[in-house]
Amino acid sequence: MIKSKLFDIRTIYSTCLFCSLLVPLRLSSSEENRSNFPWQKAVPESTHDFSAIQAQIQLQLASVRKTVVSVVSEDGTGSGILVSEDGLILTAAHVIGKSDQTMKVIFEDGSEVEGLSLGGSEISDAGILKIIDDRKWEYTPMAMSHASKEGDWCFALGHPNGFDKDRGLVLRVGRILEKKEETLRTDCRLLGGDSGGPLLSMDGKVIGIHSRISQNSDDNFHTSIESFHSNWEYFLNENLHTLASLEEGGFLGILCEETADGLLILEVIKDSPAQRHGLCPGDLLKQFNGVDLDTKEKLTILVSSQVPGSRVIFDYLREGWEISVQITLGKRSVEQ
Amino acid sequence: MKTPLIGLLFLAHSLLSNEPLKKLENRSGDYRLNGGPMNHLLCEIFKDNFQHNVSLFRNEKLIANGIIVDSRGFLLTKASSSVGARFVKSDANETFPIRIRKRDEATDLALWKITSDQKWKVVDWASEPISMDLGTWVISVDGPEQKFNLGVISASSRPIGRQGGEMGILFEETNATSNGIEIVDVLPHTAGDRAGLQVMDRILKIDGNRVKSTNQINKILQAKDPGELLVLVILRRDKELIIRVTLGHRSVAFDLFNRNLLMSGPVSKRKDNFPFIIQHDLPLEERAMGGGLYSLDRSCLGLNIARIDRVTTYTLPAVVILPILKKWLAEIPSP
Repeated sequence: MIKSKLFDIRTIYSTCLFCSLLVPLRLSSSEENRSNFPWQKAVPESTHDFSAIQAQIQLQLASVRKTVVSVVSEDGTGSGILVSEDGLILTAAHVIGKSDQTMKVIFEDGSEVEGLSLGGSEISDAGILKIIDDRKWEYTPMAMSHASKEGDWCFALGHPNGFDKDRGLVLRVGRILEKKEETLRTDCRLLGGDSGGPLLSMDGKVIGIHSRISQNSDDNFHTSIESFHSNWEYFLNENLHTLASLEEGGFLGILCEETADGLLILEVIKDSPAQRHGLCPGDLLKQFNGVDLDTKEKLTILVSSQVPGSRVIFDYLREGWEISVQITLGKRSVEQ
Repeated sequence: MKTPLIGLLFLAHSLLSNEPLKKLENRSGDYRLNGGPMNHLLCEIFKDNFQHNVSLFRNEKLIANGIIVDSRGFLLTKASSSVGARFVKSDANETFPIRIRKRDEATDLALWKITSDQKWKVVDWASEPISMDLGTWVISVDGPEQKFNLGVISASSRPIGRQGGEMGILFEETNATSNGIEIVDVLPHTAGDRAGLQVMDRILKIDGNRVKSTNQINKILQAKDPGELLVLVILRRDKELIIRVTLGHRSVAFDLFNRNLLMSGPVSKRKDNFPFIIQHDLPLEERAMGGGLYSLDRSCLGLNIARIDRVTTYTLPAVVILPILKKWLAEIPSP
């Protein structure tokens, strides 16, 4: 790699220092003040704002890049990022393919280790891999659920077209254009091989995993970190939820929307198990067999992981009243 | 010779048809790195700084960009993109005829002279050493309306190796006898295909020399550049034929199998063999090659030399360009 020099290293250094000094103060100040960070303005206002954004990304990049890997499976190559000291790697479901597969994990310096695929979900395209090695690994923390929002600056890392030691990691910068359920849409330009690579926030945390691209080069899709949080235990237990299991597994028959309090039922399908057991639009689903429901994907995974005919318990709120109901799940192909 | 196996794990996003995507764009387009408000801001920063920027036309078609490097009206552009250029449009939207003066194969640079007596504004090269760190903002212009585009230096700056010429045919090693080398596959639309080579043809001679192994053929190809001519003597159904093959680019021959390229639109034909490049992610069209890459302080870091795919453009840095330019300008006779 060619070493290069910064032509105005002082400006950038002082900007970094400026940011780090201000962080503790900013945390206690009001929402309006937070918009003083250049990357929190709707649009940068000057070259100074651009320089500050650049300095912030370069600051985060220095530590994050050591944790980004290329993942090579039998089917091809993708990317991933280490998120725990014991070697858990977030990637895409379509990179790992299925559970219990051995794959090669390559770091930017070319060093290689073996990884084993755990679980994931084909709905959100979330996938998890674990390095088979008892070392303590450097990692990048996952962002909390709901930490990212539309308009946020972000940066993408990965190995488009596969690992290339001379080229190294490839960086893209963009903004969140849309955030919806288990998907983020950004204008960070992606290509094959980037799949499974991380989307990062300006504070250097993982907010998404690269999943799909569209024909338009500045509309690309990422699995949101919320999908990992919501289904963490399920994924770690080597469960990979496939789209095929939607057909095979249990079926409830509702359309719902995620809210801060639970899943709000928008529509109940005619003659479905949900309708037969009295669920109505406006009901707020809280729990499935005692497990909190925070995402639509989680509900889908839990329901379709059951065998059709299973009896499950739903807790929901109707007009403020807590109601518990036992529902016998159906089968999608039969019901529709 | 083997087709590189790059597994592509990307799925085109088929769930969204064009219709809903357009609607979403209107709602959130304001945030885009190259959306309206950002472009407005870049115009503010860069207005009046691009008078040295010209676009090159062949017939009525915009084929490349260029930057004026000498006040007498000499401009620098990408040689292979500017072939057949007839005139330039200046920043002020005036049209002038141009003539080629110099061309360098190693860098794919060409020097053209604008036929005009006016004194031209000249590009302001960045003074060395420039920042080539990942994440450094870079700006270029693109299109007939010369829109500003913003991106970042996206990977390590490095030399790009030479890949040699390519026929796009596969051989069978085991059949390598004194009776020539048998062709087992001809990849569609490659140099070999265009020249009329067929499966089962046996290559007897290349450029007058008898060939005895696939290794020998690969060595010949390595030593040649795309565009060079090979004269093959082949055996087809007991008849000897002479076939002339104009070599293609390795990247082009094998890119036909690369889904990433299908998602990228037109890319530069020549993508290899550069002494040193800066890699960035600016969303430039192929016709924007030959234009400058600028830093936020408005100085020119280099010249965009190849569009590789939808996330990758290569720029020849000023440090590579300036010695060649200096030599060229010194060779130009004074009026």
